[in-house]
Amino acid sequence: MSGTEMTGRHVSRRLMALSAVAALVVAGVIFGIAKGGNSGGVSKGGTLNFVTNQTQFDHIDPSRVYTGRDIAFFNSYVYRNLVSYKPAKGSAGSSLVPDLATSTGVPSNNAKTWTFTLRSGITWQDSTPVTCADEQYGVSRAFATDVITDGPQYLVGALDIPIATGGSSMYKGPYSKIGQALFDKAITCNGNTITFHLNRSFADFNYALTYPAGSPVKASVDTGDRYDLKPFSDGPYMIAAYKIGDEMDLVRNPAWKQSSDPVRIPYPDKITVRFGLSQDVADQIMLGNSNPNTVDLDALQPANLRSFFSDPSKASERLNVFDPYVRYAAMNISSGHMDCLDIRKAVFFAYNTKGLIKLSGGSTFYGTPGDNPIKPVLGLDYAPTTGNIHDPSWKVTGNAAAAKAFMVQAKSDCPAAYERATNPAKGLFYDLPNTATQQKGSVLIKSAMDAAGIVMKFNFIPQGQYYSTVQDTTKQGDISRAGWGADWANASTVIYPLFVKEGGFDLSQNWGDPTYASFKANVLKTLAMTNRADQAASWKKLAQFAMDQYWIVGTVFSKGQEVWGSKVGGVYFWEPQGTFGFGQLYVKA
Amino acid sequence: MLKFLAKRLTATVVVIGLISISVFLIFSYLPMDPAALTCGKACNPVVIAANRHRLGLDVSVPVQYGRFVKGLFVDRTWGEGAAKFSCPAPGFGYSFNRHECVTQLIKEAFPVTFSLAIGSFILWMLLGISFGIVAARKQGKWQDKAATAFVVAGVSLPVFVTALLTLLAASKLGLVNPIEFGRWVSPFTDPIGWLKTFYLPWIVLALFSSASYTRFTRSNVIETSSEDYIRTARAKGLSEKVILRKHTLRAALAPLLTLAGIDFAVLLGGAIFTETIFNLPGLGRLSINAVLTDYDLPVILATTMLAATLVVVMNLIVDVLYAYLDPRVRVG
Repeated sequence: MSGTEMTGRHVSRRLMALSAVAALVVAGVIFGIAKGGNSGGVSKGGTLNFVTNQTQFDHIDPSRVYTGRDIAFFNSYVYRNLVSYKPAKGSAGSSLVPDLATSTGVPSNNAKTWTFTLRSGITWQDSTPVTCADEQYGVSRAFATDVITDGPQYLVGALDIPIATGGSSMYKGPYSKIGQALFDKAITCNGNTITFHLNRSFADFNYALTYPAGSPVKASVDTGDRYDLKPFSDGPYMIAAYKIGDEMDLVRNPAWKQSSDPVRIPYPDKITVRFGLSQDVADQIMLGNSNPNTVDLDALQPANLRSFFSDPSKASERLNVFDPYVRYAAMNISSGHMDCLDIRKAVFFAYNTKGLIKLSGGSTFYGTPGDNPIKPVLGLDYAPTTGNIHDPSWKVTGNAAAAKAFMVQAKSDCPAAYERATNPAKGLFYDLPNTATQQKGSVLIKSAMDAAGIVMKFNFIPQGQYYSTVQDTTKQGDISRAGWGADWANASTVIYPLFVKEGGFDLSQNWGDPTYASFKANVLKTLAMTNRADQAASWKKLAQFAMDQYWIVGTVFSKGQEVWGSKVGGVYFWEPQGTFGFGQLYVKA
Repeated sequence: MLKFLAKRLTATVVVIGLISISVFLIFSYLPMDPAALTCGKACNPVVIAANRHRLGLDVSVPVQYGRFVKGLFVDRTWGEGAAKFSCPAPGFGYSFNRHECVTQLIKEAFPVTFSLAIGSFILWMLLGISFGIVAARKQGKWQDKAATAFVVAGVSLPVFVTALLTLLAASKLGLVNPIEFGRWVSPFTDPIGWLKTFYLPWIVLALFSSASYTRFTRSNVIETSSEDYIRTARAKGLSEKVILRKHTLRAALAPLLTLAGIDFAVLLGGAIFTETIFNLPGLGRLSINAVLTDYDLPVILATTMLAATLVVVMNLIVDVLYAYLDPRVRVG
């Protein structure tokens, strides 16, 4: 037995030693070679890092990019438009400045024709000049809906090209070239002068051109679907590497000249975006300031957000501002749905706005009750409405008594709608994205409606296909949760899309309502107004009308938070894009 | 032996075929519409229809599957004009979400997952078997108790917790830069960089898996040590060292081989939590993103088929090796 023990110990020691060696190898790796980090930089130069939990930008093809953050990012670094927003904080940031063009555009023919002249000396990253033909080609790509998906459709809808049966354009894009002659008539080139011929008066058409979908693309480098991986640059940076789920590296574009660009002042030498970081890891980077030259492209998780925003030492590394969005519940007022004004009012007064705001982060981080589909950040076009949340009967926690009074009224005014709203076997259907927060919110909504005697049921729709479902008129319920932000600093991109059928996001389905015809006529008239002050006054009246009709309820002016590291300078909130003014960010020395 | 291999290979092909059909059917009949999911903000029926055509979903499911199978053997083309592109055979389709042929995505992700799997596999086998043998030989003593504690801790801590804590601790200690972490570097071009990328994930995975292997090894060694032929070997005067090496371990570790083979194959299919937390662009992260965020059927299909193939093939290898390692199997 003793011999066994001795041998056993001998073997054990060897195995222990082997394990120890393995552990030492690992420890050696940890302590010996893993030391890393970054050094500080100067105002000009250095590497600016961005981190995100997303595996990629939704799109980077200029014809397809459509979120404010991504537009601001790529317009600041990689591609240029005929006109741009002024890179400035506050309302000044919403004004237009010439970019590739020499002016912000010249309208004629009652704003149905717009002319721009290209600046000289602008080149692509291969040093070839940016031409009028490139601009024409860039705009044409949006028409190829079988290749170029997801992008904004403003230019497709505005150019004077006939519409085929079924609602699509008769021009099918530059790949198939079907209807090419029609497109060539809608955008014409004469030397460096480009002219857009529109199908209607479009007083703020130049704002639509701040979208990268209106930027030039060089036809010879267009790779169709794969252009979304590496668009050609005419901006101060070009894409050196982009691997989805991993990283994007931007380096200086040697062909770009400061003299040709009145908008951008590129500070960092290199810009990297790290994709797919776990949210916990990304939050810890920001909380611990472990990479001080880093900007977080995502919102912090709720607990970390509170922690970050309550830390006085981080006061200069955060922003908490009203974002461009209005959150609301759209009333589907088509026949057989919310076609009774009294019931719409009852739902409005019953709504527990405070509870829902609290659920999503409270008034500090989520937002405040709104009185308008137009947000105050639109400045010129916003004015407080009357009624709705300013009505003495409205309570932020809901007013069941007021709601019940409207239900009593509804019983005589519209008995069929009343019967449906109060019959447990029928009830009203509320569309919500199927998320944990909305599931919890539905409990609050139901409780508030129960108190008012309204039977509310819920359609929880998978998040990814929520909007495609509720935008289908045959599938939309009675009320649909939604959010909208102005596409540019003009309520034309709010009132028209939200409340006119052809606008593309009219969840109110209001076109059967007796008031719709005159409302739409006024909207179209306002769209064509070239006097901005008159136009703003008209938008205010139309917003008041929409609120008086209770086409939307539960309105919240939402907020957004941004955080960055201690060595990032030049940060400001670029109002029209609802995100950082990326072009002015630098790495502090 | 050849007949045996031929039978197993045929079965492997059938299994993989059935898996591909199942995955295809499951994702085709789920109440999700990829054309609507990729529709974007300017969504309308015209855009959805164009999207459906682009994704190849405007034909029946059998035709879609037929196109997929055909693409495994011949090049497949999408689009027209300047937008035309093709994926060479053997192709698993094209990911419109990532704008890349799926075979290429697999080629890029597999070395990452293989690096993760091979390193952690070696580490966990080394630790698990060593600790298991020590615990068995020192039954009831402090070494055994320590090994038991290690097992309890290892199996009760989920990988996503240990991975996150490890990464955060390493970050706090300045050992890693979380932004830099997870970048793929080849061991052939930058071996130090490769080690720096993988040492933490290896430790995390090894700690988790080696705990089970410690337990298995311990119980198998104890059980084998009481077998008649071990007693006979001892009676013949063989040293304990020789008995352990030549008789006990050979029999005790054979069952472990099956487990290790399958575990390794599963790991090669992608370690979802570890890859996600350490930001490693491997198969696990590729597949989980395809399922949860991208709804990318070609990627889901390819990664599922690859994982299934690896398990089936590894099973085959294990069966062959098992017969070699355990003489009793050959006798049987």
